[in-house]
Amino acid sequence: MNMHADFSPVETQEPAILIDQVNKQFGAVTAIENLSFHVNRGEIVSFLGRTGAGKSTALNLIMGNMSPTSGRVRVMGMDPNKDFRKLRRTISVGFQTDRLLPWRTAIENVELGLQILHYHKAEIREKAREWLARVNLADAADLYPHELSGGMRQRVSLARALAIDPEILLLDECFSQLDHVTSQTLRSDVSAVIREYRKTCLFITHRIDDAIEMADRILVLGAPARLLLEVSPTPEDRTDRDKFQLLHDKIADALGVDS
Amino acid sequence: MSSNDTTMTRTTASVFNFSSLIKRDRFAGLIVILLIIAALQVASLFAPDYIAPPPLLIAEKLWTQILPLWDEILVTLIRLLVALVFAMVVGTVLGVVMGMLPGLRPYIRSLVVIDTGIPALSWMLIAVFWFKEPEIRIFFIMSVILIPFYALNVFDGIRALPKEWLEMCESFRPSRWQVLRYLILPHIVAYVFTTTRSVIGYATRMVIFAELIASAVGIGAQMGLAQANFDIAAVFAWTLLLVVLNILSQSLVAVLEKRVLSYRPEVEVR
Repeated sequence: MNMHADFSPVETQEPAILIDQVNKQFGAVTAIENLSFHVNRGEIVSFLGRTGAGKSTALNLIMGNMSPTSGRVRVMGMDPNKDFRKLRRTISVGFQTDRLLPWRTAIENVELGLQILHYHKAEIREKAREWLARVNLADAADLYPHELSGGMRQRVSLARALAIDPEILLLDECFSQLDHVTSQTLRSDVSAVIREYRKTCLFITHRIDDAIEMADRILVLGAPARLLLEVSPTPEDRTDRDKFQLLHDKIADALGVDS
Repeated sequence: MSSNDTTMTRTTASVFNFSSLIKRDRFAGLIVILLIIAALQVASLFAPDYIAPPPLLIAEKLWTQILPLWDEILVTLIRLLVALVFAMVVGTVLGVVMGMLPGLRPYIRSLVVIDTGIPALSWMLIAVFWFKEPEIRIFFIMSVILIPFYALNVFDGIRALPKEWLEMCESFRPSRWQVLRYLILPHIVAYVFTTTRSVIGYATRMVIFAELIASAVGIGAQMGLAQANFDIAAVFAWTLLLVVLNILSQSLVAVLEKRVLSYRPEVEVR
């Protein structure tokens, strides 16, 4: 626990994330229909669904940016919408696009969350350097976003999310804008970091490969968001080509897409 | 490479250099200045001095009568600077309030829009009635004229703030003050500079106008005096000085802008 920051992580025995019979309507449109699932602490869960399946709405509910029409959303036992500020430092988000601030260098972008959480100045710089090094960007600390490649920018963005040492990391399709090779390298690096630091992670994606390779558990969503399938890939599913394909086909079938 | 090839390459290079030279701003500016001087010289041959004084007479006036009045010039520049800084601060605050407090937005926006609809001359006459002290008159006139530019541009800047940046910032659950400090203020700096660059010429004209109406000191008052003495060469000399001061102040703002906004990549459209 960091004694310098003004907020300490929330301590509770409840699941890190709990979605209980949640419905979300936008006027006549149903975005989420009777969705229930939970994410245990230290678990990496992948949220897989086609575009428009309500994945981002579910993410917004968990972030506390909106409240459900009915049902219960809990993050570390708290209502993320009502207890918005209490969940400071508990949740951090890696977005689909890097969202780096152009007037800040790479290291200053990583520092943003730490500054908001009132870490000490020296500690802010130290932590930001540490996380930039962790994502292999120690030499790019003083470069502005426009001087970085797409993959480097996304690494900075993930360093920014991880630097505040959150309990829960929400990753919203954050590798989908990158080319296949960069995406694969970055995904494996981030996966290693999340496991090393035992973070809880909800990883939203529409790529079946990403979900199988990264998650302990995969939740397949239909549209409007409702649970179609829940699977837990084994290590063999990732290493054995046939098993990987079998699981891939099963998920593709549930999604109704061509494998 | 044969000698023919070399000659051709040189010719192409010199044509290219000339074509790029004539496109340069400084070169174009020099040509325009020379044309104006020539036109004035030609006009002075056919018209009396009180209509079109020769350029040499204007230069002589500038050197012998205008530049020694440096204290008058300084007064105008200080008035301009003080009013510009005040309008920048107050206008930015109003723009931020409009951007961040939706409840107050329609009231402040209405006030600003009404202000922009009032002619500068009305403000000048009102100031003469309301205030006795010339400095307060000029400060008031400049402020009410310039504040709306900053308020509206800063408000536009906040409206143009990418929603993605705001969502990213809010994912760390900041206070309102932190959103302002870490996101909104750095974002609107570019808008404040753009506004300053676009209003500085207008502000210079307004301060001269205000001095003509409401003060006995400053460049505007001196120009009024020259007009009263039928000294058109002095009017031309003051005008020349104002153009130079305007170009210098624009350049100063551009240099500051480049330094403060150095993070922005240079984009060149072909």
